[in-house]
Amino acid sequence: MGQQEATISEQQSDRRPSGYLRGAPSAIIAKFTDRGFQKQAVWVTFSVILALLVSAVIMAMAGYDAGTAFTYLLVGAIREPDRVVQFATPLILTGLSVALAFKCGLFNIGAEGQLYVGSMAAAVVGYAMAFPYLIHPILCFMVAAVFGALYAFVPGLLKAYRGAHEVVTTMMLSYAAILITSWLVGPYGPFFDSAGSQLIPQTPLLQDTAILPTIGGHYMHAGILVSLLAVIGVDFLVNRTVLGYEMRAVGENESAADYAGINSKRRVTVALTISGGLAGVAGGGEIMGTYGRFIHDWSPGLGWDGITVAVLGSNNPWGVLAGAIFFAALKVGGNSMQQSAHVPIEMVGVIQGLVVLFVAAPRIIEWIQTQSFDYTSWARSEESFPVEHFVGTSLSIGGIFVSFGLLATMGRTFLVDGTLFTIAMITLAAFGSFLSRSRNIDLLMTLSIIGWFAAFLAGFLAGEFLVWILSGIFGVLCLFDLVLIRRAERTYYIKQEVPE
Amino acid sequence: MQDIGLDIILIGILIKTTLQMATPLVLTALGGMFSEKSGVVNIGLEGMMLMGAFTAVWATYLTENPWIGVVAATLAGGLLAAVHGIVCVKFKGNHIVSGTGIILFGVGFTTLMINATWGVTGDSPSISPHELPKVNLPFLADVPILNAFSQMSPIIYMMFIVAILAWYVMYKTPFGLRLRAAGEDPSALDTAGVNVEWMRFIGVFISGCLAGLGGAYLSIGFNTLFRKLMTSGRGFIALAALIFGNWTPIGTFLAGMFFGFLNGLPNVIQVAIQIWPGLEYLQIYVDWIATLPYFLVVVALAGIRKSIPPKGIAKPYEKERKQ
Repeated sequence: MGQQEATISEQQSDRRPSGYLRGAPSAIIAKFTDRGFQKQAVWVTFSVILALLVSAVIMAMAGYDAGTAFTYLLVGAIREPDRVVQFATPLILTGLSVALAFKCGLFNIGAEGQLYVGSMAAAVVGYAMAFPYLIHPILCFMVAAVFGALYAFVPGLLKAYRGAHEVVTTMMLSYAAILITSWLVGPYGPFFDSAGSQLIPQTPLLQDTAILPTIGGHYMHAGILVSLLAVIGVDFLVNRTVLGYEMRAVGENESAADYAGINSKRRVTVALTISGGLAGVAGGGEIMGTYGRFIHDWSPGLGWDGITVAVLGSNNPWGVLAGAIFFAALKVGGNSMQQSAHVPIEMVGVIQGLVVLFVAAPRIIEWIQTQSFDYTSWARSEESFPVEHFVGTSLSIGGIFVSFGLLATMGRTFLVDGTLFTIAMITLAAFGSFLSRSRNIDLLMTLSIIGWFAAFLAGFLAGEFLVWILSGIFGVLCLFDLVLIRRAERTYYIKQEVPE
Repeated sequence: MQDIGLDIILIGILIKTTLQMATPLVLTALGGMFSEKSGVVNIGLEGMMLMGAFTAVWATYLTENPWIGVVAATLAGGLLAAVHGIVCVKFKGNHIVSGTGIILFGVGFTTLMINATWGVTGDSPSISPHELPKVNLPFLADVPILNAFSQMSPIIYMMFIVAILAWYVMYKTPFGLRLRAAGEDPSALDTAGVNVEWMRFIGVFISGCLAGLGGAYLSIGFNTLFRKLMTSGRGFIALAALIFGNWTPIGTFLAGMFFGFLNGLPNVIQVAIQIWPGLEYLQIYVDWIATLPYFLVVVALAGIRKSIPPKGIAKPYEKERKQ
């Protein structure tokens, strides 16, 4: 009996997964099994690897030890998960803010300003008013959301009804917000901390009731719960509600949405307002969880980083979550990299930039695929070439490593460095044309031979033992390979011309 | 000089500050126009400016010749733009994503290279004796207001030339027509037998070159060193100027000048408050006065007209497969 009942109820639940709460776990699983999501995830991972490779080359050129740097980058991020979460908390919210606006076809470049306004409001409620525990931070968050939303509501209105481009208006308002909040907490403003240090424009410390408790490690504060709630909320809003559907429709094609009877003007305003509210919450959370007071000019560009996080997560709320954590982990790892491997933390910026650049162009993978397909078909049809070309490819890879490696220990004469750099570029090009089976392999090989011999001479004149011996070896090897390639080509074409 | 009134002196300072602040904005915004007119959104201007600013100092430091610095800066900006162009045009990537990557890379790379080249953090060493020579116009030296135009960096004069050239190229040459067509209606241009992808790539490349020149003005025209993040958001303001100027050369030039004026205004107000008797009470409200122009821009943008971007902007052009 019991079994039967169970199966019936199972069938029923299969037939109609009623209620959002019951459907939630399967919905979340469905998000991860979704083909588009998997494709994006694979591509992002691949971009990270590509970006790390390119940044290793840059580090080698700048004279840093890439291996040690990457080790400390990884170790640093793993050792301090609480810091990672602390950094990720506001980034998730600003990322969601920008992503939501993107969904509706808007570019909220001024999330920074909404963040300042929201955090200012939260700080004032936090220090000037008395409320019990739990209620106080919630109230602060609400005030921050309302003020951030109001600050984005105006550009939303102007965009919808007056056609004023949101990039200009939100950015101008953002600069204005930074100045106004500076004045408000400055010596002439009403919220100046006159009892504290007179030098820094800031508000008094928040009351204890408004401070977000630490919930793990030394740094992780309760703001992360709000961020996670926001992820779920935005996901729900965008994918499961009529409003979200209409916002996406407006973002895809505004005139088509208008034609379908959607009030696109109202949707644009609403989208930008919610976006501003999220940025405001991000600011409030930082004030209550990390800073403890509003200090003028406090944000290290959280609103701008939100754009990058949104982009990394391809405007998908869960992607934003992953992007923010990745971004924060890089930041934390970068600190440890700077301390232990003595590579400046700006290297992290380079890595981030490269990751984003690669994420932008998923077609690179298609391009590489077509190149390698060409390669295999070519290798199948002609038996004599692959050996020579394999040697040439290895020589050009070796050349890239050797020339960049020699460049990494800079400080020689301009002549030697210049020649080495030229060779590095030529070998890179040669490697590319070997991969793409381009016809100018011979030319590039000749050029690199000339380059190697020039470096041989220059190194010899400058008395650089390592330079001249290595370039000599490479020059001879390349010459040898060029002769091989030419001979193979000649025999091949003769065979072609005189068929039996 | 006693007979010259304070107001005349202040107007002179205002003109000079405006020109100094506007030059990088106008150059970069005009560059952005070339890119966006050809249909590629370029929010990476900030990164290209930084790249130009850094390369200018670096090349000047190595060769001790500022003009080589200017040329190198232009090329470096163009090189970074070429990456953006390849990602957006050849690989049909998302323009905003790629632009974001360009900014991050530019910021990180230039700051890293300060450390890698000179072993210092923050500021590069000064190239002091080798900065760009100021252009001296002796016949203007004694004219009250116009003397602001004398004793300026040559890049400021270049900016005027670039602005005129940009207008001429965009509206009076076949190249300009094709560039605009690539942004407005790429398929029509393709039908006419012009390579759309190549036109777009050239547009992006020019934008990078001009942004690099704008950055070079900041580092070796206005200053004598490269400082970490020295553009401080000017690339974005240039983008705003481009939109405010409605994607036209003249509009962009005027908007860039106006934003330069806004940028310089707080400094001039500070000076005015100090030298003008009876204005001390305004000291309290300096932040508010500096805020006003930003609100004015918003009001003006809302009041004047709708922004009309090029039609084909941010849409990768796919040739129809002919098979």
